[in-house]
Amino acid sequence: MKDILEKVNRNDGMTVPDGYFDDFATRMAASLPEMEWEKPSAHVVPRSFWQKVRPYVYLAAMFMGVWCMMKMFDLMGPNSRGLSFDSNPVITAAVSNDYFVNDYVTLQGDVSEYQLMEDLYETGYVPASYTGGYDDGDYSIEL
Amino acid sequence: MSKDTQLDDSTLVARLRDPSSCRVAFGDMIKLYTPPLYRQIRRMVQSHEDANDLLQNTFLKAWQNIDNFRGDAKLSTWLYKIAVNESLTHLEKERKRLGLSLDDEESHVVNLIEADTDIDGDELAQQLRKVIASLPEKQRLVFNMRYYDDMKYEQMSEILGTSVGALKASYHLAVKKIEQFFTDMD
Repeated sequence: MKDILEKVNRNDGMTVPDGYFDDFATRMAASLPEMEWEKPSAHVVPRSFWQKVRPYVYLAAMFMGVWCMMKMFDLMGPNSRGLSFDSNPVITAAVSNDYFVNDYVTLQGDVSEYQLMEDLYETGYVPASYTGGYDDGDYSIEL
Repeated sequence: MSKDTQLDDSTLVARLRDPSSCRVAFGDMIKLYTPPLYRQIRRMVQSHEDANDLLQNTFLKAWQNIDNFRGDAKLSTWLYKIAVNESLTHLEKERKRLGLSLDDEESHVVNLIEADTDIDGDELAQQLRKVIASLPEKQRLVFNMRYYDDMKYEQMSEILGTSVGALKASYHLAVKKIEQFFTDMD
């Protein structure tokens, strides 16, 4: 058996037409289709600074909006002291000031200026006799 | 596989992985591997025309999947694997087309060998081809790779996905059958 395999000497007895291997290699290489990765990539327009940061700006704005909304709900809540009338020092000072109350609250309130003057005239008020000043709103009327 | 081919392989793989040199490198690879792959395929399908078509399919599939080749396996192993798969698929299709059973296939292959005109006239070589044709498909593959290509069992194992032990047993069995055939002839 070994003799037979040695005699054959790895010769498979098959032949090919002359120049077949060279021709095949040339034809095969020429017929290879163009692949996607071989095509030149399309020109990419560089993104502007605004286009790059836009998503982050929108994100930050969204978070700010949510934060503001939560803050507003917190101030409007029943246990909140943020908008309480008593705890606001500016409002407290204004209410305790008679001048402010007379000049702004009363005159701008339900009683009209005309009605107030009418009342004053009825009680004997003469405008020329008025000498009081605006000192803490505590002015006197000479009758 | 010779040392020169191995050296060529490492250079080729580097060029194949570079998109700018890939096409030219692939052309060089075709030149280098056309003869061994052609012979491997032809020993399976026997006819020159079929071998030519299957070799084209082999290189085309390799080209279409070149970006999947990461160089983990040897280039020759990868190409042989594609060629063997193409050959086995072709044989399966032919069996179905002609309505042949596995037993009928032997006489069909012998007919193909006898009809083959691309031969060198070596009677003993032709006789051996016919005996090999009588072997089961896997044994035929193993014997061809081991005897004609002098391929190592480790590489065969990677190509065929079979253990080295099973391949050695398969080759030994094939040799025994061939030996028996020639003994019976005497």
